[in-house]
Amino acid sequence: MGSLIASRAAIGDAFLTTLFLAGVSGVLSLLLGTLLAALRVSPYAPLRTVATVYTEFLRNTPLTIVFFFYVFVTPSMGFTFGYKTAAITALTCYTSAFVAEAVRSGINSVAVGQAEAARSLGMSFSQNLSLVVLPQAFRTAIPPLISVLIALVKNTSVAGAFSVLELFALSKRLTNVHSADVIAILIGIALCYLVICIPLGRLAAAMERKVAFAR
Amino acid sequence: MTQTTSASRNESGTARPLVTLRGVQKHFGDLHVLKDIDLEVSPGEVVVVLGPSGSGKSTLCRTINRLETVDTGEITIDGRPLPSSGPGLAHLRSEVGMVFQSFNLFAHKSVLDNVTVAPIKVKKLPRRQAEELGMSLLERVGVADQAHKMPAQLSGGQQQRVAIARSLAMQPKLMLFDEPTSALDPEMINEVIEVMTGLAREGMTMIVVTHEMGFARRTADRVVFMDAGRILEVAPPEQFFSEPESERAKDFLSKILHH
Amino acid sequence: MSLTRRLFLTTTAGSAAVLTLAACGGSSDSGDEVADVDPSSFEKGSTMAKLADAGKITIGTKFDQPLFGQAGPDGDPVGFDVEIGKMVAAALGIKPDGIEWTETVTANREPFIENGQVDIVVATYTINDERKKVVDFAGPYYVAGQALMVKKGDDAIGGPDDLKDTNVCSVEGSTPAQNIEDNYPDAKLVTFDTYSKCVTALNNGQADSVTTDNVILAGFVKADEDKLQMVDKGKTFTKEPYGIGLKKDDDDFRAFINDTLQKAYDDGSWAKAWESTAGQVLPTPEPPTIDKY
Repeated sequence: MGSLIASRAAIGDAFLTTLFLAGVSGVLSLLLGTLLAALRVSPYAPLRTVATVYTEFLRNTPLTIVFFFYVFVTPSMGFTFGYKTAAITALTCYTSAFVAEAVRSGINSVAVGQAEAARSLGMSFSQNLSLVVLPQAFRTAIPPLISVLIALVKNTSVAGAFSVLELFALSKRLTNVHSADVIAILIGIALCYLVICIPLGRLAAAMERKVAFAR
Repeated sequence: MTQTTSASRNESGTARPLVTLRGVQKHFGDLHVLKDIDLEVSPGEVVVVLGPSGSGKSTLCRTINRLETVDTGEITIDGRPLPSSGPGLAHLRSEVGMVFQSFNLFAHKSVLDNVTVAPIKVKKLPRRQAEELGMSLLERVGVADQAHKMPAQLSGGQQQRVAIARSLAMQPKLMLFDEPTSALDPEMINEVIEVMTGLAREGMTMIVVTHEMGFARRTADRVVFMDAGRILEVAPPEQFFSEPESERAKDFLSKILHH
Repeated sequence: MSLTRRLFLTTTAGSAAVLTLAACGGSSDSGDEVADVDPSSFEKGSTMAKLADAGKITIGTKFDQPLFGQAGPDGDPVGFDVEIGKMVAAALGIKPDGIEWTETVTANREPFIENGQVDIVVATYTINDERKKVVDFAGPYYVAGQALMVKKGDDAIGGPDDLKDTNVCSVEGSTPAQNIEDNYPDAKLVTFDTYSKCVTALNNGQADSVTTDNVILAGFVKADEDKLQMVDKGKTFTKEPYGIGLKKDDDDFRAFINDTLQKAYDDGSWAKAWESTAGQVLPTPEPPTIDKY
């Protein structure tokens, strides 16, 4: 316990780093993932193919390997990122594939007639998607999207293996210094993750209730 | 066939038809759903398409704004062939209203927003102007008092009238109705039919797929009878209902009219 | 490189067999250890008596530390720590097949000992005061020290005092990383979860040096002598006495292990164990003085 209190400043910093990684990659993943989902239903076959290959490739690659790519492989190709930037890039690439799938399943749940009505009114593909299909798709996609974001929060711990001092890396550092307090430290760190993830779950429940009436 | 003579009998008809279908063929897999379809519709004309279910009448209706593609044959509107995709197709669709069996109101938008979204986003009408137009159309179809509700809060008849208002908001040259009353409870059919009759009286060009024989009798300029993907008869309603030519039409009418 | 490593592993396994045979051959006072220890010779109720009675011991070691504890192709770990563990087991009359090897990593060594999930830990386990609050240590059986490794031919870094404004790589949560953080704050510390990533970073130019215990660096240099070298011939700038971790306040057991180690120092079996494992890469040191606190 004592070591947790003694290290509160370091834990606070690491907590903010975890929150920063999750927040920035979360927003970027939602944007990129939605774009990918849109490409997957686009009328142009080459775009569909690109989006499908991207999604399948990243969804089925271990996150550590994606990190490895941005930390060690791109520098040898002449692109060196800072470690935080590399972490955000890796997390975004990886998470956006899952976002894309969640949004796509949401799109598939929207009745075909909705898109047909929009087309009949002369809406372009992008208007159809942004005004009619996606707003309804997100309602269905909220629960899976929140799960994806909660997974993202926990996945930020992989950054700890790649030179970003976030909560998980800090837990290793603290347990090494304060070996007598290992359990207290790990519980403290786990609580930090809960502080981020539980409100996300609550948010999901609240949003579901809010949009339920329209169904 | 007899389209040309029919068209010339229509007083509002001009030399050039608004819609033409020539040699249209369509398959769904092995199923030949449209066979050698030829049809012309003049401006201001009301054409009612009748036929047993599975005869291809809905598909015919949906090919006219290219919700269904065709295998071969040509469809023109105002003398121009249907563009296959892109902004050209979108522009054409903005000029052709479509009313669906299942209404298809945008579930996440209020009644008024359903009516104004396309004028604002597609026609770039200023919001205020679009809302004035929308309210006047909702007034016209008798649901102005529901303008700020969500579609799910309305009855089926009210929803379908909103859907008609939504199409009219784009000021279309042509309205397609794909079984507009088939999903309605019987007591709500009339309110929709009345709106459609009013539109016809004002000179709107309409292609209507329906089972409402009363509407066909009173309002159609011509009746098109389809069976198994073919147009079997095209005739004025009084002629079609009193002296159908084909056995299939006789059979169909005997079943329908005995309801 | 893979050939070297395979050869190395084979040799180690072979040497282990030789070592066991040597132990069975017996020296003046230990005799036929593995076969002949009488459980009743230990004080009733002592840890030694319990383990000897059961004929089984659970030993925690690292499975990923070349030369000390690295899981071999058959899943059993090999290395110097493993040989030390076998010596302790043999002193209790437990044969190698009575040893259950459990992987311990830096973060779980203390909990594993406290909860009794392992009987002893021999896992490049540095003795320090913080750890002594919760566990006890026998030994040390080896004194390692922090050293530096750089790219072959890079002479810009001659020691820890040259690390200012350079990227020095180590493993997060390790004592060497903490040492850099605490005592060389001008160095830019880069941390990963494994040393092999540090080596990748070094080869890529993302790190200028890698630091950790000399024994670990020696393994990497050995594996890739064309690209890597030790700074100042592997000179160490800290002392990391490796001890055998056991439950706190089990003083009899600690004394027993200390005696076992002392015997191994005296009869040469400690040196043999070293030569068959870490001695492949590092010179054989003098046995350290046991700290019988």
